[in-house]
Amino acid sequence: MTKQTHNSGTDQLMTRRNWFDRTATGLKAAALASLLKEDVYGESRRVFDFKPRDTHFEPKAKSVIHLFMNGGPSQMDLFEPKSELERLHGKSYFEKIAGEVENPTAAGSLLRAPYGFSQHGESGAHVSELMPHLATVVDEIAFIKGMFTTNLTHEPALFKIHSGQERPGLPSLGAWVTYGLGSENQNLPAYIVLDDPAGLPVNQTQSWQSGFLPPVYQGTRFRSTGAPVLNLQREYDEPDNITELERQLISRLDKVHRSKRNGQLELDARIASYELAARMQLATSDALDLSQESQETLDMYGIGDGASDSYGRRCLYARRLVERGVRFVQLFINFQIWDNHTGIAAGLKNCCDRTDQPVAALIRDLKQRGLLDDTLVVWGGEFGRLPIAQLPADKNEKNAGRDHNKNAMVSFMAGGGIKGGISYGATDELGFAAVEDRVGVPDWHATILHLLGMHHEELFFERNGLKERLTSVNPARVVHEILA
Amino acid sequence: MLVLTLVASTLFVGQQSLGQENSSELFKTDVLPILKAKCAKCHNADAQKGELNLTDANAILDGGESGAVISTDDPEASLLWEYIESGEMPPEKSPQLTQAEKDRIHQWIKSGAKTGAEANRQQELTQLDILPILQLRCTVCHGTRVKEGDLDLRSVESILAGGKSGPAFIAGNAKESLLLKRVHAGEMPPKQQLVRVSVKPVADSEIKLIVDWIASGAKTVEIKEDVANGKPDPLISDEDREFWSFVPPVKANIPTAKQSAKARNAVDYFVMAKLDELGLELSPEASRRTLIRRLYFDLLGLPPAPAEIAEFESDTRPDAYERLVEKLLASPEYGARWGGYWLDLAGYADSEGLQESDRFRPAAYRYRDYVISSFNRDKSYARFVMEQLAGDELADYTDPENVSQQVYENVIATGFMRMTIDGTFAGITGFVPDRLVVVGDLLQVYTSSMLGLTMKCAKCHTHKFDPIPQRDYYRLAAIFKGALDENDWLIPIREGSEPGQRDRFMTLAPTEERRAWQAEHDRIDSEISKLESDLESLRQATTNRLEKERLERLPETIRGDVATALATVDEKRSEIQKYLAEKFADTITLDPAKLAEVDEDFKKAEESTTNQIKSLNNSRPEELLVRALWDRGAPSPTYILKRGDYLTPGRPVGPGVPSILVPDNRPLKVQPGFEGSPGTGRRLALAKWMVEEDHPLTARVMVNRIWRYHFGQGIVRTLDDFGIAGARPTHQELLDWLAVEFMEHGWSIKHMHRLMLLSATYRQQSLIRDEHLDKDPENLYLARMSIRRLDAESLRDSLLSVSGLLKKEPFGKPDTVTRREDGLVTSNGQNGGWRRSIFVMKRRTEIPTILANFDRPRMSPNCIDRVTSTVAPQALQLLNNAQVKSWAESFAARVISEGGNTDAQRISYAYVLATSYQPVESELEITQQAIDKLRVAWKTDSPDMNDEELTAKVYTNLCHALFNSASFVYVD
Repeated sequence: MTKQTHNSGTDQLMTRRNWFDRTATGLKAAALASLLKEDVYGESRRVFDFKPRDTHFEPKAKSVIHLFMNGGPSQMDLFEPKSELERLHGKSYFEKIAGEVENPTAAGSLLRAPYGFSQHGESGAHVSELMPHLATVVDEIAFIKGMFTTNLTHEPALFKIHSGQERPGLPSLGAWVTYGLGSENQNLPAYIVLDDPAGLPVNQTQSWQSGFLPPVYQGTRFRSTGAPVLNLQREYDEPDNITELERQLISRLDKVHRSKRNGQLELDARIASYELAARMQLATSDALDLSQESQETLDMYGIGDGASDSYGRRCLYARRLVERGVRFVQLFINFQIWDNHTGIAAGLKNCCDRTDQPVAALIRDLKQRGLLDDTLVVWGGEFGRLPIAQLPADKNEKNAGRDHNKNAMVSFMAGGGIKGGISYGATDELGFAAVEDRVGVPDWHATILHLLGMHHEELFFERNGLKERLTSVNPARVVHEILA
Repeated sequence: MLVLTLVASTLFVGQQSLGQENSSELFKTDVLPILKAKCAKCHNADAQKGELNLTDANAILDGGESGAVISTDDPEASLLWEYIESGEMPPEKSPQLTQAEKDRIHQWIKSGAKTGAEANRQQELTQLDILPILQLRCTVCHGTRVKEGDLDLRSVESILAGGKSGPAFIAGNAKESLLLKRVHAGEMPPKQQLVRVSVKPVADSEIKLIVDWIASGAKTVEIKEDVANGKPDPLISDEDREFWSFVPPVKANIPTAKQSAKARNAVDYFVMAKLDELGLELSPEASRRTLIRRLYFDLLGLPPAPAEIAEFESDTRPDAYERLVEKLLASPEYGARWGGYWLDLAGYADSEGLQESDRFRPAAYRYRDYVISSFNRDKSYARFVMEQLAGDELADYTDPENVSQQVYENVIATGFMRMTIDGTFAGITGFVPDRLVVVGDLLQVYTSSMLGLTMKCAKCHTHKFDPIPQRDYYRLAAIFKGALDENDWLIPIREGSEPGQRDRFMTLAPTEERRAWQAEHDRIDSEISKLESDLESLRQATTNRLEKERLERLPETIRGDVATALATVDEKRSEIQKYLAEKFADTITLDPAKLAEVDEDFKKAEESTTNQIKSLNNSRPEELLVRALWDRGAPSPTYILKRGDYLTPGRPVGPGVPSILVPDNRPLKVQPGFEGSPGTGRRLALAKWMVEEDHPLTARVMVNRIWRYHFGQGIVRTLDDFGIAGARPTHQELLDWLAVEFMEHGWSIKHMHRLMLLSATYRQQSLIRDEHLDKDPENLYLARMSIRRLDAESLRDSLLSVSGLLKKEPFGKPDTVTRREDGLVTSNGQNGGWRRSIFVMKRRTEIPTILANFDRPRMSPNCIDRVTSTVAPQALQLLNNAQVKSWAESFAARVISEGGNTDAQRISYAYVLATSYQPVESELEITQQAIDKLRVAWKTDSPDMNDEELTAKVYTNLCHALFNSASFVYVD
């Protein structure tokens, strides 16, 4: 964090000073200086909190909403029509890509897209007929069609897209971002995960962990029903006034304890954390209160409609959270609905029915509220799919799906410094591998960090003598071509 | 003249690229002199940093550890230029290249990057270019363990010998070579099998190499593995070797200090000498209550009980403190505390991680128990290190009939090397690069925990800060290869019935335990067979009885005839008997197998027997599995992987340790550990080297760690990095003195505790005074103790201990955890009690929320030092969680029953339990006021509540408040 903390401005100093003044009466100037020194000029950072921090350069986006499409959406069926695939439908292709097929016994022949495409917007973007709503906002979107990853198994591929490497235990993108930037809202968690009430995604909570970064930076799950955050509400029955009496007792005892321990800043931080806990209870309920929204807004997100209701709610929560200054919001769907090994025709329709309207509404809503300019919306999964069919056990081609493919995948971004209405990169004529303007996962990460005003090589954490980074030792390139 | 050349060549570049001749001319006149001036300090014939010599055209073409530095095909992609262009070379502190010099080099690059030495160089392919390919693509089925078609493709000899179909290649005749025919035909490696055996198809470029090699006559060279040879190492300079931590520690004289009257032992003199320099003094000794609380948490991770506090406070003997230290060091809870620190270093986990399933590791807990016991017994640290690095090579473990407790522990200890995240049980996640990640993790666990150097960087290139050439990383990897061979892999899940065939479990137990285990199985077998035979007897008897009863229901006249007819075998029946048998068989004869259908009593008996057998089977002792690492001999060759990529193997290396730590560069002495050992003895050599008395790091690193856990930070603050990028020691003489003392006292960890804990430095108060903030705000020099928050385990264990719910039952299978629907993870208690946190399942995906909130990390691959965060979820956990509240209820019940009859007595008791201190007057007053108000409030809320219930409610609030108070969570 050296670079980042070097150019800390006076504003930040003032904020921090005010904070200390408020919480630590009689604090010694030397101690203050020492803390600030560590934070602002120190070689290694030792203060881990959510105070807003300076960026490496002027950011384009303040917050990120990551719409994670678990399972591996099919790149050739959604945004990139392939006439060759249409033409060669039914021809054998397995031998050419044998080393890339996880289930050779189920490998079928080339399979055309099950649904049609048409072009939309001024940009003329190709969108599958399954996404009529998204089709209306394509001019805000930059499609990344030359994207690829390095592993064709869900778990490692998920680790890769979320934390940069194919293994668990490393900090996720959201953890890096909040470690680097802190948050604009001290009453809500900086990194919020909206997972599906219907169940956890694959890799479960590991996709939003803080790894070797201090645990404060891990994603906080907000549930749509019940208490949104673990332990946020009392889990036992007790009259409010009695709880209040107990809290007063805690507070008074802590003051006595503190008064006997001059200069122990940790104790002030602890008292502050109890105050924050109390504020969080209120702020969280407010942020998730959809009754404050108009019926028109609810309808736009597809809330109340069977298929899109659940994802619609989460998209609307996401908007409400970034509106309140939350830095990083990540949406998950239960399990991995985009993993269409069989019955891809029905599978894709189901996925789109659930997400198309909410995603389009989110982009439109952010836009009309002026939030899209500094909110980066990112859509994508962990890998793509093969151009050949994967056959079910009964070899019935009508029920064919597609197996995993690491050589090509699709992602899109909108808002927050992105050039709308463009398509960047391409796969080969069958959609098997990214060939043109290839974007690797490290490039994708570097680009997101760049939009937030951070350089991926300068956002690091010292560990085991290494400066650990999201992009690790991989060469990574900011994809300037998709930036506004 | 120079000016002219410059102008001329600039012009040339402007027009078109220079010809080869001009390029090599430019190299001689301009580029080589620049390289000699600016790069030769580190890259010359004697000092070859990165194994690169830039002072001679031929040497430049040889390249370095990362392979060629010049690419004539794509000059702009030349490594040399990449490093210069990015500013990475020359390094920061060396004289930099001027812009003109850079331009010059770039010009030469653009002109084709010729040195003029190209013509004399003929790169001939040898088996060294081919064998790594075959190893990667073929040897799973044609190699060490399996030889399909009797073919072994590991060496030129075995390839020539061929298999069932004859020699695999014919030198000089690529076309007729069987190996290539099969590969060309797409038969090999078989496409349908690729994923199952984790093999990728042979790449076209690889096939071309094989073709070219065979066509050119299949030339071979003598293979010489690069190992230390006792001569000066060209990759390490004498200056490198002078760095403080690479020189073995020696005991300096104990210094004098102004305040020597305050000193209690040697530690104090070293600390005070530094404080003198700063103009600071040791703080006064802390109160007995502070000391006992500090000692309990430091040594046991638990709070002292009120009686223990009282005993210590009233102990007037001059050595009361020393006695307390001894008592705690002898406590079995000590191992559970200090073993926990070690498990963090090992990256202990009860699951594999990586895959969604996060598979459970069946026998990992045996290693956990081994660690705890080792600390409790004060096992020599040297021995502890040796067992964990080479337990399988210390003594013969191969005869299951003869396994001593020691041999058993040796093997268990190797679990240290099996703790990393490992998803290689499935074909698709078990390819060579996946396996290399596991190897890399193990090296990281070993180097960061025991060695105190970071070597991860050297996986891809020579270490940027420390004098660790890339070669040394692969020499170290070669040490582990006898057991951890990416070309001959054991998977982490139990497979089939033969342990150790393909998986990494061994069935092993001390002979006595194994006999007891067998006896228990035999006992269960015989009980089951008795139950079965009893049931059979009952079945027969019941059948007979019922058939008899049925017969008796027949008219007496025919009864006898029917009975006779049924009792006679079919062939011998008369016609009448046949008739009778047919007519009455159904009504009289019973199928014994279906007896339960007709007889309620028998049905019950049968069910009961089935249940008994089931529960007997459930009570069978589990398989005596040990999750271990053992050397199997015959490891595949180790190559330096250029830029860390398994697809670009460089020259072969043999086993060795970091050269910087071996002043005379002597070779590692490798011998099998015992007669008849299947292993190579490589790790044994490593282990022995680790504990040599002149090893510069082993003792320092461990002593520093012990210091960190007593004083809050290490003398070297980077616990895992004693190298150049690590922190410098604040008290090097003290560290070295302790390190030597450690070795002189048989590597006794408890001896180190005594030295540190008995010092006046440790016994100081933690109060901060103005001069502390002015002169040493971070408390690096220890003019006071630092306050500390309880770590995750101590916090949970304290909650349980104070509530009277802690079950001190050590060892064995971990306690399970439950994940609630909302994601909250809690440990499951047994009979209303809970065990210490170290005995709770450490599943990577299911860390109990309370532990995670208080900074228990997820192991990846291990944890060197925990951070202490202070965040709202901690407050929310302690305030709102139902389990914490229920523990407060137990705490309150204990206070009410044990604490006396008045509020004042009870308040005091609760305070002492939770914080070890008596409440001061203001605390008493505040608490009494709160209790009075709570009473009224509860009474108003529930007027029907009786006094007993009321007291319980009020005290639960008090106890819950204490759980949430700073005095409970912090130690002074």
